Amino acid sequence: MIRAKNIQLSFNGKTVIKDLTFEIGNGENVCFSGASGKGKSSLLKMLQGYILPDAGSISVKGLELNEKNIATIRSNMAYIPQNVNLPVNNGIELLELITGDKPAERVFSIAARLGIPEAMLEQGFDEISGGQKQRIVIAVCLSLDREIILLDEPTSSLDDESIGKLMDVLKGPGERTVVSASHNHEWIRFADRSIAL
Amino acid sequence: MNDMIDIGLGELLTGFLMLAIPVLVFIYFRTGMVKDVFISSARMIAQLFLVALYLDWIFDMNSAWINSLWVIIMVLIGAGTMVYRVRLSWRIFLVPLVLAGLLSIAIIDGFFLGVVIRLDYFFDARYFIPISGMVLGNSINHNIVGLTSYFEGLSKRRELYYFILTNNGSRRKAIRPYIQEALRKGLGPLLANMSVIGLISLPGMMTGQILGGASPVTAIKYQVMIMVAIFAGCTMILIMSILYSNIFVFDKYGNIINLRSGKQIRNNSR
Repeated sequence: MIRAKNIQLSFNGKTVIKDLTFEIGNGENVCFSGASGKGKSSLLKMLQGYILPDAGSISVKGLELNEKNIATIRSNMAYIPQNVNLPVNNGIELLELITGDKPAERVFSIAARLGIPEAMLEQGFDEISGGQKQRIVIAVCLSLDREIILLDEPTSSLDDESIGKLMDVLKGPGERTVVSASHNHEWIRFADRSIAL
Repeated sequence: MNDMIDIGLGELLTGFLMLAIPVLVFIYFRTGMVKDVFISSARMIAQLFLVALYLDWIFDMNSAWINSLWVIIMVLIGAGTMVYRVRLSWRIFLVPLVLAGLLSIAIIDGFFLGVVIRLDYFFDARYFIPISGMVLGNSINHNIVGLTSYFEGLSKRRELYYFILTNNGSRRKAIRPYIQEALRKGLGPLLANMSVIGLISLPGMMTGQILGGASPVTAIKYQVMIMVAIFAGCTMILIMSILYSNIFVFDKYGNIINLRSGKQIRNNSR
């Protein structure tokens, strides 16, 4: 599903990722682990084409990540950022910004499994906690039903119970490839495989 | 209708006595703005008399080339003012904003002068220059507000842009919230102004025509049409400025480049 070969990345002359090669199979759950500044989030941005490697190549679903293929590659992805302080009023507005449609039943059912009642999706983001906001953003992104789910520090605002619920949802029916970046040990253990940076 | 009463030099000087009111207020409250009142007034007088001189010449010549050149100069000055005020890169954004201004004014003038008024001589300086000037002049402020909102939004709230871009895949969708906000902020005041025109404000053009001896009904019809032209023109200039600028705002991966310097941000740490 995702292949990276001899990736190299540096910021301001400092090498962050050196000669990294990996392959993530269809339906696999892989976590990039490592301390802050090791390039975990940058790697997720690279998979979305927002950061280009200094050297090496990346391909997703057999398509090389380049200007020509980037739109097709992104159309297979859902990305859940670490920073969920998005400038929108509520979860429904966020979903409508992405899809342009009224919310489908799917988002309510995923939200419910994450412990978010339907009404909270319409509640102002400034009235709810960081953890609730993160679960709403996760529910919105998962409702897009994409083959590849990218999660950047998905546990950053979640308590143990919510982390467990998120794991259950990700393990649920339907084959999807989960790629995350985290330094949370429980989350790393949940992955089929972790790649240390 | 009576001819318009001319204002003699004596009356003109008497009129300036009205400035005593703000000057006294500024002195009393020690605002430090008295000097500015005199400088601004002197500039206004000098600029308007200069305009009167060259407009006199332009109106006498009434040449399609000279009139068009004059409108092009107005577009250039307007675009330059916008680039400067929004603090964008001259090298990158001057051309898109000039193009937006030229194309919008060509469409508005073409429709207003060619279809609505149906001028025999399209480039007649009496119509071509003031109508273009009113549309362009009004568009500057609204465009500055709209473009500032758009570029500041993309710069300060870029995380939402990237979030939508990945999750939807379409750049058109990802920039939509920023365009919506730019249109609301840029054109909202103009809509509000239209809705109270005649109640709170008496527009300058209409007042000028009535003072100049035109029938109030004719003056009002012109005013309605010019407001519609201004609103359509401002909308077109703003949206075209954004769309043309977008060619240079994003790289081929959809990354936002540096809006101030125009440099590409590689390894974007958003």
